[in-house]
Amino acid sequence: MVTLTFKLTEVGRVNINLPTPLPLSEVVEQIAATSGYRPGGYIAVRGGRVIGAGTMIADGDHIDIFPALSGG
Amino acid sequence: MFALLRINAASGVSTLEQHNGKEFLLGGRTLSSRLVSREVAADCDPLGRKNKLFFCTGALAGTVTSSANRLSIGGKSPLTGGIKESNAGGIVGTRMAEQGLRCIALEDAPAGDAPWRVVVIGKNGVTIEDGAFLVGKGVYERSDLLSTRYGKGAGCVTIGPAAEKLLSASGIACSDPHGVCSRYAGRGGLGAVMASKKVAALVVLADGPHKPQYVKETEYREESRHVVKLLRENPVSALFTKYGTAAMVDICQSLKVLPTQNFRHGVLDGAEKINAQTMYDTIKARGGEGRTQHACMLPCAIQCSNVYPDADGKLLCSPIEYETMALMGSNLCLTNLDTIATMNRIANDAGVDTLDCGAAIAVAMEAGLAAFGDDQAAIALMREIRDLTPLGRILGSGCKLAAKVLGVRHAPHVLGQAIPAYEPRGTKGMAMTYLSSPMGADHTFGFTLRDESDPLTKEGKVGLSKKFQVIGSRMDAMGMCNFVRYAVRHDMGPLLNLIKSYYDVDISPVEFDDFVKETLRIEHQFNLDAGITAKDYRFAETFYDEAQPETGEKMDITDEETAQARAW
Repeated sequence: MVTLTFKLTEVGRVNINLPTPLPLSEVVEQIAATSGYRPGGYIAVRGGRVIGAGTMIADGDHIDIFPALSGG
Repeated sequence: MFALLRINAASGVSTLEQHNGKEFLLGGRTLSSRLVSREVAADCDPLGRKNKLFFCTGALAGTVTSSANRLSIGGKSPLTGGIKESNAGGIVGTRMAEQGLRCIALEDAPAGDAPWRVVVIGKNGVTIEDGAFLVGKGVYERSDLLSTRYGKGAGCVTIGPAAEKLLSASGIACSDPHGVCSRYAGRGGLGAVMASKKVAALVVLADGPHKPQYVKETEYREESRHVVKLLRENPVSALFTKYGTAAMVDICQSLKVLPTQNFRHGVLDGAEKINAQTMYDTIKARGGEGRTQHACMLPCAIQCSNVYPDADGKLLCSPIEYETMALMGSNLCLTNLDTIATMNRIANDAGVDTLDCGAAIAVAMEAGLAAFGDDQAAIALMREIRDLTPLGRILGSGCKLAAKVLGVRHAPHVLGQAIPAYEPRGTKGMAMTYLSSPMGADHTFGFTLRDESDPLTKEGKVGLSKKFQVIGSRMDAMGMCNFVRYAVRHDMGPLLNLIKSYYDVDISPVEFDDFVKETLRIEHQFNLDAGITAKDYRFAETFYDEAQPETGEKMDITDEETAQARAW
């Protein structure tokens, strides 16, 4: 089971089964297709470290997805 | 043709010039920095008569386009000693457009004991009036007095008591759509420059007769509607509408770059008490005058601003932005939004930059003048600035000076301007941006966080920072709100199409970016001529010697690398 938490969105926490590892971008797209989440730009954090769109996600991962805002 | 109104602050004489050319067409920072570069001696005293202040509107000011009325203010900064462009929302840009003005230049300076003046600009010309009624008063009271005298719809630009004393962290306050001078061109000490000219306020009356003369009005309106659609559909800019910039608290906490305890740490225990959701819930629960969706200028489809109410629902501060929540919140180890709002309000009333004062107060805490996490002590230090006590004047001069006086080595600034938003050891891309901005540490310049696959390494960050320096400067270059950039990040076409249908002038994306890069070249050259050298583009040595506890990272960016990031 992989847990993605979409911060500051209505989507919130999503758990998905991932039999084989997939790139983060594909996982986010799968969730977007069913949840109505519109990715735009995002910053993903796993274990306190930023991960990129191509990072492989595997069973047991917990990932926070933040919208890619900036201050102003 | 574009009008430039010159006002001599010593003689009171005003002259109106007409100019053509794309730099005047674009306006904004494109124009203000070129005028500063040409007309201000780089080695002049920023508080002397040779400095000038240029107030510039942008290419689409006064039109129906969303978020197009930023006011760009340029001059030599007393805080950094280099060039400064600081911009604000509000209604002044709109009023200037209605008066047919692209730029107002405040020039020269009277003797130090000259009386304070109010410069009033209307359809019948310029009048110089007695400004004594404003002197010594806080910005909130000034707002009321100016509204009463000139009407709530007037576009007012004013300064606070801190600027009257020429403090380097003083900003310039501009009218919002409610007639309150709450929109700040806060950074760089330009408030002190305005005060050095004994101008207590500049008022642009709401009697301007000019309307936009679109070459192709139907197309223009259609393209403007398209821009609104892009803004509303963009998931990032749309999120600003609900949470504003406060959303950054959670992001920065998670990335370990939330400025904490005088930039010693990147994580705050209790950050959830000052995050976007807490602020949203608090505003909603208190109701009254509170607003979570608020426009700083009209028209605006993003409406990222907010109105933070006190426990009784009365306006306490508007707005509270992420950077203030960081520099006056986490950076002081404070976890109470009411405290941050109170400090922000005091800063607004004093007419000072919340970031530079927040950084200075953290330095004071590190020096032992107060404890980190002590809400009442933090408010008391902010009051010292407002009350212009000797300590308050030190703190109101920015964190570099405060650190020198108070004996603190870990002073978080570049070129004297406080690091605004992200603890740099945790994000080497933003560190590169801070070290290569001509304005000193600037969080709106070259935002790299989203595209840093590994924020802890400096590898690739010269190129990344430079890429986003251009993207980040595009909106300033034409007087648009910075957050519009999300909707046009990959394609400036919609905005360039607006210029085409308004003026019938073609500017390609390449030509536009060339203007942006040339502006950066000009700004860096000004700084060089002002005596700023490579060694000045550094953090305090402690950032290089001491590791941030959460990431284990030290600053390791070299002078050679930052020089590359500044080369255009």
